[in-house]
Amino acid sequence: MAKGESPLKQFEIQPIVDINFLGFDISFTNSALWMTITTAFILIFFTVPFLKAKKTNSISDLYPTRMQVAAELGFNFINSLLADTVGKEGKKYFPLVFTLFMFILFGNLFGMIPYSFTFTSHIIVTLALAMGVFIFVTVLGFVKHGVKFFSFFVIPGLPVYMLPLLIPIEIISYLSRPISLSVRLFANMLAGHTLLKVFAGFVSALGFFGILPLVFIIALTGLEILIAFLQAYVFAILTCLYINDALHLH
Amino acid sequence: MPQLEQVEFFISQLFWLGVFFVILFTVLTYITLPKIRAFLNQRDDFVKSHISKQDELIKKAESIIENYEAKLTEAKNQASQIINDAKDKALKESEDLIKATEEKIQHEIKQTEERVAKEKDTAISELNDQLKDSATNFLSKVTNIEKGNINL
Repeated sequence: MAKGESPLKQFEIQPIVDINFLGFDISFTNSALWMTITTAFILIFFTVPFLKAKKTNSISDLYPTRMQVAAELGFNFINSLLADTVGKEGKKYFPLVFTLFMFILFGNLFGMIPYSFTFTSHIIVTLALAMGVFIFVTVLGFVKHGVKFFSFFVIPGLPVYMLPLLIPIEIISYLSRPISLSVRLFANMLAGHTLLKVFAGFVSALGFFGILPLVFIIALTGLEILIAFLQAYVFAILTCLYINDALHLH
Repeated sequence: MPQLEQVEFFISQLFWLGVFFVILFTVLTYITLPKIRAFLNQRDDFVKSHISKQDELIKKAESIIENYEAKLTEAKNQASQIINDAKDKALKESEDLIKATEEKIQHEIKQTEERVAKEKDTAISELNDQLKDSATNFLSKVTNIEKGNINL
């Protein structure tokens, strides 16, 4: 980091190709670049190992290659996540949860590469993802249950005089889901990367003793990689829980 | 904070997010995930079919063992019967032999006795004849003496 640069400078959007479409600025930025890389990586990582797979009965063709095992790991992880939270009906929503998890996970992980850009550290991106999940889940609830979906805000077995108090609370907590979902991811990414940059600034500022913050940021990088995974996991599991709520109400 | 200050890039970010998310979702849904699922199912089917085949083979092996044991007991029974038969036969043969030998001996004893008796008879009759002869002799001699023309 150059002297005098803010630790927040890493979050700046820099247009690479200026594109103007019908008066809207849809420039291809560094954010879009890393979305491209993330998308391409996920597609290659999960598709290429299975391209050669053909129908066969010979046992040697059924031994998975290393890349297949790695891809299967991600597949089975989301599969069991959905099975545990939603159950059998959750299979339909597997591609959605899988896409969300992998997009956020690799977005976070590629953000850990020095000089790269973390698109999940932008509230507009995480909010869009969370709103997408929120709208999808709400529509799903209405499609499955129709008007009965409103009974979701009424906790069963509650005395009637408590309802005027609790229904607004339930509605507010439901409406705040996309906000908590998006801010959680955004804030974690923002805080982690900012902290890393601040301590990286100390490394050059302290001269020889800069080795201490250097050791610290190495450890912190490990923690950030954990958080990158954890936040993608949290986002995915909350999506699963919301889908479960929409399918089963209570 | 650039996240809240660079409002001019909000549409750009939303646009590209939408583009890439839709691309990713579509390709994963229609190409990648079915491929992975098919691969995993194929392997599961293979394992399952082998497990059922293995059960079949175990059953087959068990029936073979049963068959083998049944045949083994049968063979053992047969063997002991053969041994018993052989023992009986040998015993009978030896008994027969002993009996036959005894009979033969008895027969020979009888024959010998008969022969001895016969010889005894002939000997006695011969002796009688001789006795008769000598007695006649003696008598004639005695009678000759009585007649007076005796030459002693």
